[in-house]
Amino acid sequence: MSIFEYNGSALVAMVGKNCFAIASDRRLGVQLQTIATDFQRISKIHDRVFLGLSGLGTDAQTLYQRLVFRHKLYQLREERDMKPETFANLVSALLYEKRFGPYFCQPVIAGLGDEDKPFICTMDSIGAKELAKDFVVAGTASEFLYGACESMFKEDMEPEELFETVSQALLSSVDRDCLSGWGGHVYVVTPTEVKERILKGRMD
Amino acid sequence: MASSGFQADVKALQKHLAARHLIYQHQHNKQMSCPAMAQLLSNTLYYKRFFPYYSFNVLGGLDNEGKGCVFTYDAVGSYEKVGYSSQGSGSTLIMPFLDNQLKSPSPLLLPARDAVTPLAEAEAIDLVKTVFASASERDIYTGDKLEIVVINADGIRREYMDLRKD
Repeated sequence: MSIFEYNGSALVAMVGKNCFAIASDRRLGVQLQTIATDFQRISKIHDRVFLGLSGLGTDAQTLYQRLVFRHKLYQLREERDMKPETFANLVSALLYEKRFGPYFCQPVIAGLGDEDKPFICTMDSIGAKELAKDFVVAGTASEFLYGACESMFKEDMEPEELFETVSQALLSSVDRDCLSGWGGHVYVVTPTEVKERILKGRMD
Repeated sequence: MASSGFQADVKALQKHLAARHLIYQHQHNKQMSCPAMAQLLSNTLYYKRFFPYYSFNVLGGLDNEGKGCVFTYDAVGSYEKVGYSSQGSGSTLIMPFLDNQLKSPSPLLLPARDAVTPLAEAEAIDLVKTVFASASERDIYTGDKLEIVVINADGIRREYMDLRKD
């Protein structure tokens, strides 16, 4: 079994009209056994940048701690928050530092850049960035998420419709993947507010 | 029967089943119903359990009452009658969306709900076109052209649609 499939995860970020949504499942497992059903995969870096980390749970937590540290240093030096594009570069650099002994994580970064333009990107475990205009996916359920998102995505969705779309795509996809599920965690971010919602899906 | 996988095995399997169907027609003076063919396909696949046909199949047709049925298989003949299915490299992309649109309610729910999602022919064809268009976007092995075989009381007809050519 691959190290990326040890804990199980599902992550998706989608762009809407002047907003974005980032969502994850809530299962943490050790291969076939479920250990936790409330695992946080998405973290807020600051009000306008969110980071989701799929893959090995321990590496996700360590990487998150390192990134928070670097961002706090940045805030002290620059007296402002990091732009999402800059943050993505930071994540990419940190991952490539460990090129020959990598973190077993696939990050998903979502944020609002200049002029409230939504920004999403994902990268592989050694920092190869993949920018997208519509949606990005990561985790053991990524193939299922590709199909579900591709069929359900529409351009310029309003926050409420975006929430419905992301939720349906996430729940349908994790229901097909045995290693992810146990509900969902969805953040819908607009320039004025952040709405965090917990989804109840098949608890198996 | 729609098959994905190793094309030589697919061809061999189709040839074998066509021959068996012809024999059946000679012996019984009628066409095989879909459930009968479903069982035959399963047995044919399991016959080669230890050197399988590398073929992932979906069988569709009408049963003796004229109702539609779909059977899905793995490479060694394990099969199940379902409302919908997909196989092949694009199936991981297609299945969650079909679940979302067509999934039957759980049999444990009360009051008991009907498992068959009523789907009109035009709706079904539209759904097939949508899922293939989406799968072609993200799966490198899926694309070029789509052939849809529609089977109803009037007979069999084929529809074609172009897909992404990359």
